[in-house]
Amino acid sequence: MSKGTKKYFKKKIIWFLITLVVAVLLNFFLPRLMRGPGTPMRFDPDIINAVNEKYGYSRGVGVTEQEGKTYIDADQWNVYYEQEGKALGKYKDRNDVSIIALVNKNISSEAMKTDEGLRAWCASYDAIEKDLGRDGGMLGELWHFIEHIFDGTFGKSTSTTRYPNTVASIISEGIVWTICLQIPAILLGWILGNVLGAVAAYKRKFWDKAVMPASLFISAIPAFGSAVILLVIFGVNLKWFPVNRAYDTGMIPAFTWKFISNVLWHYQLPFWSIVLIAIGGQAVGMRSMSIYELNADYVKYSRFLGIKDGKIVRYVFRNAMLPQVTGLAMSIGTSIGGALVAETIFSYPGLGMKMYTAISENDYNTVSGTALIITIMVLIAAFLLDIIYAFIDPRVKAAQFD
Amino acid sequence: MKTKNETGILKDSVPVGQKTDAQMQDDRESVSFGSNRNKDFSKEPLCLSGKGVTRVFHTGKVTTVAVDHVNFEFHKGELISIVGESGSGKTTLSKMLLGLLEPTEGEIFFHGQPRDISSGAKKREYWKGIQAIFQDPFSSYNQFHKIDAVLDDCINMRGGKNLSKEERFNMKVEACGFVNLKYAELTNKYPFELSGGQMQRLMIARIFLLKPEILLADEPTSMIDACSRATILDMLLKLRDETGMTVIFITHDIGLAYYISDSVYIMEHGKFVECGKPDKVMLTPEAPYTKRLISDVPKIHEPWDLSTVG
Amino acid sequence: MAKKMLEVNQLTTKYITRQGEDVYSVDHVSLDIEEGKSLGIAGESGCGKSTLALSLMGYYFPPLHYTSGSIVVDGKDITGLDPDVVRKTVLGTDIAYIPQAAMNALNPTRKVGKFIEDVIKAHELPMDKKQIREMAEQRFARLGLPVEALDKYSVELSGGMRQRVVIAVSTILNPKVLIADEPSSALDVTSQKMVIKMMKDMLASGLVKSMIFITHELPLLYNVTDDIMVMYAGQIVERGSAHEMVFDPVHPYSRGLMRSILVPEEGTRDVKLTAIPGTPPNLKHPPAGCRFAERCRYATNACRYNAMPILEFAPGRTYRCGHSVEHLREVYASEDEE
Repeated sequence: MSKGTKKYFKKKIIWFLITLVVAVLLNFFLPRLMRGPGTPMRFDPDIINAVNEKYGYSRGVGVTEQEGKTYIDADQWNVYYEQEGKALGKYKDRNDVSIIALVNKNISSEAMKTDEGLRAWCASYDAIEKDLGRDGGMLGELWHFIEHIFDGTFGKSTSTTRYPNTVASIISEGIVWTICLQIPAILLGWILGNVLGAVAAYKRKFWDKAVMPASLFISAIPAFGSAVILLVIFGVNLKWFPVNRAYDTGMIPAFTWKFISNVLWHYQLPFWSIVLIAIGGQAVGMRSMSIYELNADYVKYSRFLGIKDGKIVRYVFRNAMLPQVTGLAMSIGTSIGGALVAETIFSYPGLGMKMYTAISENDYNTVSGTALIITIMVLIAAFLLDIIYAFIDPRVKAAQFD
Repeated sequence: MKTKNETGILKDSVPVGQKTDAQMQDDRESVSFGSNRNKDFSKEPLCLSGKGVTRVFHTGKVTTVAVDHVNFEFHKGELISIVGESGSGKTTLSKMLLGLLEPTEGEIFFHGQPRDISSGAKKREYWKGIQAIFQDPFSSYNQFHKIDAVLDDCINMRGGKNLSKEERFNMKVEACGFVNLKYAELTNKYPFELSGGQMQRLMIARIFLLKPEILLADEPTSMIDACSRATILDMLLKLRDETGMTVIFITHDIGLAYYISDSVYIMEHGKFVECGKPDKVMLTPEAPYTKRLISDVPKIHEPWDLSTVG
Repeated sequence: MAKKMLEVNQLTTKYITRQGEDVYSVDHVSLDIEEGKSLGIAGESGCGKSTLALSLMGYYFPPLHYTSGSIVVDGKDITGLDPDVVRKTVLGTDIAYIPQAAMNALNPTRKVGKFIEDVIKAHELPMDKKQIREMAEQRFARLGLPVEALDKYSVELSGGMRQRVVIAVSTILNPKVLIADEPSSALDVTSQKMVIKMMKDMLASGLVKSMIFITHELPLLYNVTDDIMVMYAGQIVERGSAHEMVFDPVHPYSRGLMRSILVPEEGTRDVKLTAIPGTPPNLKHPPAGCRFAERCRYATNACRYNAMPILEFAPGRTYRCGHSVEHLREVYASEDEE
């Protein structure tokens, strides 16, 4: 490997790592910025008893009846609870909405009427809080997050239906669907886009006049737009394809023709909506690249050396296509973004859908985890494409490696 | 008057009195050098000079000395050629002369005083006295400005902002006339509607209006043909005679430099390897580089020795 | 008499513009070259010299179209052949081309050796990869080019080297006629000299049987070619040996051209440069008479309205002018005295 090559690699790898670190931090903090503080749950029986004894309240939680029929408002009681709790050295803010939801799922309201029940509630809250690494503040939680990136679990889901399953298990359910949907769709879109662009450049006339405005139009439609259009036309109106899910409800995944054909049937709408988005952007770029290459001096020269037109067209498309590899690398992020939207619209059980569900369930660990895995996939793809491109295109090689 | 000769071609030895537009525009047939040909300029006051002028570029860890301790003395009204091949540093030097780059070492003198272009105002003051024309005439114009506006700008730059419409019109007509262009045909046109040759002429019309002290011409004739080249050179020389401006030619065309210059500087790897009167430098070169350069140029009276290649 | 390698008779080709207008940029051009000889074509930009280069190959694609005339290469008439036959049997083998912008003439993503392979394969010659490689290596060695260049992309070669590689590739099939369009104008003088030496050597050793060299640099042309032809507005206006054309031009336009030559030689500073006013005519509507009349100081009304044929006035010398040679020479002589 030459010195220039090494330098090129070093540069690319350093950039990759920097982006990765930034991505991890963003994926951690951004979802958590949405998380507001919940109402603290004042369920510690020891403190409740202390307050009651000191101020002569009867047994109860929160709002309590005073002897002599006067009521004290909840705020006042809360202040007392806090004071007494601190005096006892046991005060704690148990206000994490997702943990509360998890605890409430296991302890019935009936049980909460006893000290044992309340104690069990608090113990359960503390245990889950520790389990999720949320007992050490935001930094502790970040550390916990990073730790579990490295053990590959991405922490545990805080969804009531999933806890204590790991985020990794959720990702593994969705990732196959996402990969099977998006990689073929983006690649096909890229190829079709390039072929269309090239043909438009080579044939001009009808192709150029019809295909290019269409491509421009499609590339200008936001990702959800094309999905919704396909859904309305082919799903709702024509009823050719199902409008949601990856396979019919009630079907059990199995390696049978019946199941596979059902999956393929469900596959069409989300697949083509992603292809459509990818085609538009690529075709426009490829057309101008091809026109540029077709006018290059080497085309004329090769012609006058007696080289066949077919061969020259292959030269041209190869040369125009190569820069499109970086086009792919650059567009892969936006494509995946669009693809995630398509997944949600068609309730396709991929990572996009998982993320969408996680957001609505305040499941921050899963939001961060799925977002991070998508980011990493995009980064790796872009990184590899960049490296590959530099090797297959001697023009870049000459420019970059010297 | 007309007689048919054996070949059947009409023979008419007396040109018809009616002249074509082209002839009306240009009755001068050959380049006139005016009174300044072979004049000794060393007695003229200094216009632009430099001592130890150096420019170093750093790209990463690589240091390139583009211009390496060059000394020069350009006198008023003199026509100087700086000759060098690509990579000799002549472009960097021309940028320093124009004040677009500062030398990293050494000093450039303007009228014998150290040139001060440290502030924006001083720079603009300096630029009033120096103008440049480049090889690609197309790139020198704002393609969205009409030609009238281009010429008006020049008048404004020379402090003609308060002139009446008529005075401006007369100035523009005069400038166009000087370069054998018809103002009436140019007005209301955009630069891209002109031919390459017309554009080169318009560039000189601009110089005519601006009347700079120094004109720096970077390969001004490399894009035009030999025939049109003579016209451009003729106009430049005439302008020089009229205004006493100093002309600096940056070129790789050795024949042109020999023909037109009052003094020649040969540049190689950032250094002036030889300088002096064109007859001395071109006909009896001393530096090995100059010798090689001159021997590599095809000539018509001396044989071109191809055996000395590489 | 030596064998004629190329005979062109009254060749006319035209461009069809986007507006559908015909522009005859090569108009009834006749020329011939003998084996081992070279012919230079001079003229201003836009005079049709590059179009002539393209037209001579008998292989036309829009916007350039063949109109009439014949091109005979070594006794074989190539006009009217099927384009694919021309491609396979004429291009590269009978007539080879070195383009104006040779710096970018090579496909940037194809190695030089691979490209040579493509060229050979396009002509369906019975050679396998190994044989092609051997032949290419031998040729490069013979021309003094590094064999390693075969494994390089064009971007990895320096400007002068790229140019010489293009010449080597163009001539790999030993063409009978080599057409070089400004092959050295983008190079500095030293590389230019190397390129010229290589081309002259190829002609001398018979790798190339004859050569057409197009440039606007007259001193170069004078040193490279045996004969020089001057083109103006799509027509040939004068032809003669290089020496005759430089020192004794007859046509007023040729004279203007030759008087614009500037070389670093004793006496050059005393030459009076002649400026030719005006611009070449628009070939969409060429003048009826002499095309140069508008710019010619000797033009008469007859010049402007009578079609001007090309005439031979001495062996190997032709011109296209309304005045007799004697008259022109007299006028020139009196002018030179001034």
